[in-house]
Amino acid sequence: MKRIFFMLAVLMAAFAAPVQAETILRTDEVAVGEMDPYKAKDVADSILLYNLYDTLVFPAVDGSGSGVKPHLAEKIDIDGTKYTITLRDGVKFHSGNVLDAEDVVFSINRMNALGQGFSYLFKGRIKDVVAKDKRTVVVTMVKPYAPFYAALLRLAIIDKDDVLAHKVAGKFGEFGDYGQKYLHSNAAGTGAYRLESHDPQQLTVMRKFKDYFAGHAAKSPDVVRQRYSLKDPTILALMSRGEQDIANQWIGPETQRSLVGLKGVTMLKEPGIAQYFIKLNTTKAPLDDVHCRLALSYALDFKAIHGQRRITDEYVGAKPAKGPLLETMMGYDPTMPDFAQDMKKAKAELAKCKYKPGDHRIEITWIAEVSWEERMALLMQQNWGELGFKSDVVRVPWVLFTERTSKPETTPHVGQINFNARTPDPDAYLYPLYHSSTHGQYNAMEYLSDDEVDRLLDLGRSTTDPAKRATIYTKVIRRIVDLRPSIYGFQMVNLYPKRDVVMVPTLEKPNMNTGLMGGNLIFRLMEMK
Amino acid sequence: MLIRYLIRRALAAVVTLVGVSMLIFVIARVIPGDPARIALGPMATKEQVQDLRNDLHLNDSLPVQYWEYVKGVSHGDLGISLYTRGPVADDLIKTFPATFELILASSILMIAIGIPLGTLAARYRDGIIDNFSRLFSLLGVVTPNFVWSVSFMLVFAFWLEVLPVAGRLSETVMAPPHVTGLYLIDSLIAGQWATFRDAFAHILMPAAALSLASIGQTTRLTRANVGESYERQYIEFARAYGFHEGRIAAKYALRPALIPTLTILGLDIAVKLGSAFLVEAVFAWPGMARYGVYVILEKDLNAIVGTVLVIAAFFLVINLIIDIIVAFIDPRIRLGVRGQ
Repeated sequence: MKRIFFMLAVLMAAFAAPVQAETILRTDEVAVGEMDPYKAKDVADSILLYNLYDTLVFPAVDGSGSGVKPHLAEKIDIDGTKYTITLRDGVKFHSGNVLDAEDVVFSINRMNALGQGFSYLFKGRIKDVVAKDKRTVVVTMVKPYAPFYAALLRLAIIDKDDVLAHKVAGKFGEFGDYGQKYLHSNAAGTGAYRLESHDPQQLTVMRKFKDYFAGHAAKSPDVVRQRYSLKDPTILALMSRGEQDIANQWIGPETQRSLVGLKGVTMLKEPGIAQYFIKLNTTKAPLDDVHCRLALSYALDFKAIHGQRRITDEYVGAKPAKGPLLETMMGYDPTMPDFAQDMKKAKAELAKCKYKPGDHRIEITWIAEVSWEERMALLMQQNWGELGFKSDVVRVPWVLFTERTSKPETTPHVGQINFNARTPDPDAYLYPLYHSSTHGQYNAMEYLSDDEVDRLLDLGRSTTDPAKRATIYTKVIRRIVDLRPSIYGFQMVNLYPKRDVVMVPTLEKPNMNTGLMGGNLIFRLMEMK
Repeated sequence: MLIRYLIRRALAAVVTLVGVSMLIFVIARVIPGDPARIALGPMATKEQVQDLRNDLHLNDSLPVQYWEYVKGVSHGDLGISLYTRGPVADDLIKTFPATFELILASSILMIAIGIPLGTLAARYRDGIIDNFSRLFSLLGVVTPNFVWSVSFMLVFAFWLEVLPVAGRLSETVMAPPHVTGLYLIDSLIAGQWATFRDAFAHILMPAAALSLASIGQTTRLTRANVGESYERQYIEFARAYGFHEGRIAAKYALRPALIPTLTILGLDIAVKLGSAFLVEAVFAWPGMARYGVYVILEKDLNAIVGTVLVIAAFFLVINLIIDIIVAFIDPRIRLGVRGQ
């Protein structure tokens, strides 16, 4: 009898033993969360991409700051136009299937076939992609294209068998719809988290994938809940009640100020991802004269511009720019001077300009959805007014702005743009901004046509030696700064309010910043306290 | 008589819907901005944008585009949303119940508070209740619903922490089995009281914020109409017969006064479907109003047309219901008797 009682007691104790509660990380982003990695284009999509999927390469996150390294790939050998990719052995997809070369071939073909998201990084560049054996893929480029290695950062590798098992009829022949319907609300990756539920406008729930090949930090969150489209007061209330742990980078300065006033809330700083440009239409008088452009640049009060991004003394969402390149990129030249207001130089340049400041009114636009740009526009109006320029500050909704900038004659004199780095390669940043072949897109609204800039940008693409490329990009940014098609306001420092219940090493430890849009919120590296 | 009247109204509603679909189809395409470019992002090549334009038939003439759209609609296919990348019909099915539940809750508050308050204000004209109702109505009407939303959130969620901040349910609570899509009703059907309590706590602030302007309007309308009724001779007769004041108010003063009030309320309820956007945005309410605004900003053509069609259909249905109610209240309408 005693024995029975004893066994019952043991059983009860076993059932009554405290269960370790799972840790949940709550974040938010701007809608929508695009689940299909080949349609991803912004921050929310990129966060999903880097946590649910993996790429062949990824920036080193070991604190070495050694740049982009093989990730799903074990090694990548480059020989002119030929990239031989050897895959890691035994990497598992969420379905349980094992990654092989066919998955990589399928992924590249799907990216090109859909032609959406980051496919512009690959489109027209790849001549051939072949699975040589289970673990080896050979990609042959049409011609030498150095940015390809970094472009692989945007190629999520998907589970071919899983996707094809769920294909429905579509326009891609034997591939049906290429699994678009399935991947709209399911994930088929190898990522550190697997998808539990997804509503692109509301919420994505992700759970730790136990078989992840690269492992998780010891205290990484078990579950991540990423909400979409929360408004500032909602975020403030949620964080004050401990119901949200990391907030998005887009919230207004007043809310950011209120948030850091809360106990246990600080802000993560993420530099090196984006830059604020004041873009000048170089085809319209008086901005078709480089001296007028230089005059406007020298007349601008850069200190006041940076001040607009000040939240507190500790948190300023800007740091000085030294030209069009981000500090995390190859070719960035730290010896170039910071831009500063110099009215003497401004007047000297104005004297060389073929136009009188009163000859033409300047249209200064600001994007209706980005309220702080209005303050910037008013500052420009005031500073340039001191030189005698007359201007109009005009609010333009985003869709209208993209429409207007599609032709030089409808493009306003001045536009403001925050431009994100899609990959850490300088080509992915400078080419769409300044190469004449990109005219018609809002990012190239300067309509700069300079043979030397075009030549150097093309050379940067085709040169494979990193040292030579760095020299080329340093040269090209000096040339661009001399032409001053844009005024380089500041490098953005994205600020993410965060409760002290979580540690984010990529933004809190030295040399861990991936320099990749959406690439710093890697949940497997985070530590819940 | 009534059935013939309803059939006539239903046929008119179909014609109206076709007209609305054509109108919004054209208007959506006149809004500046290339939807393909917006959907693909700034870095997409011109060829990629052209490919998507071809897929969406955007390079065809408007009549061809409309015909393609009608062909899809006839199969229940409202097209793919460029915003969510999913079928528009799925998006609307998913978001409409949330907004409908919110509107229903706010309409219940509007009727439950506005009509009694307006009746009392008319009965005790220039008294304390009337003065209170006047101030209450004024505040309700002149203050935008997003100000109420933020204020409620600050008081009840941020300072007092007695009500939840966002969404339809807490993160630890599972949605009830789907029957109507309205969590309050579905949780009752499933007998899930905890879920009902949680859903009720979540809907309280957004419904209140959305209803305050309507409560104010209902109160003022009811007060004016009931006030007019009180000046009629039959009220004097009722009093002379010694009827109880409550009976006089409810049966003889309020009933005839309800007809113009209900007509306006019908419009007000339908308008809420579109105007709930800011309330939904503040409380992260996953509804159709919020969806509608985002798809307009993204120039998501299929979703714009789909959303407007649902709003138009809702508007027509609500008005039909109001017409039926009015017909029951007013026998002259029910029996087809023209005014004397």
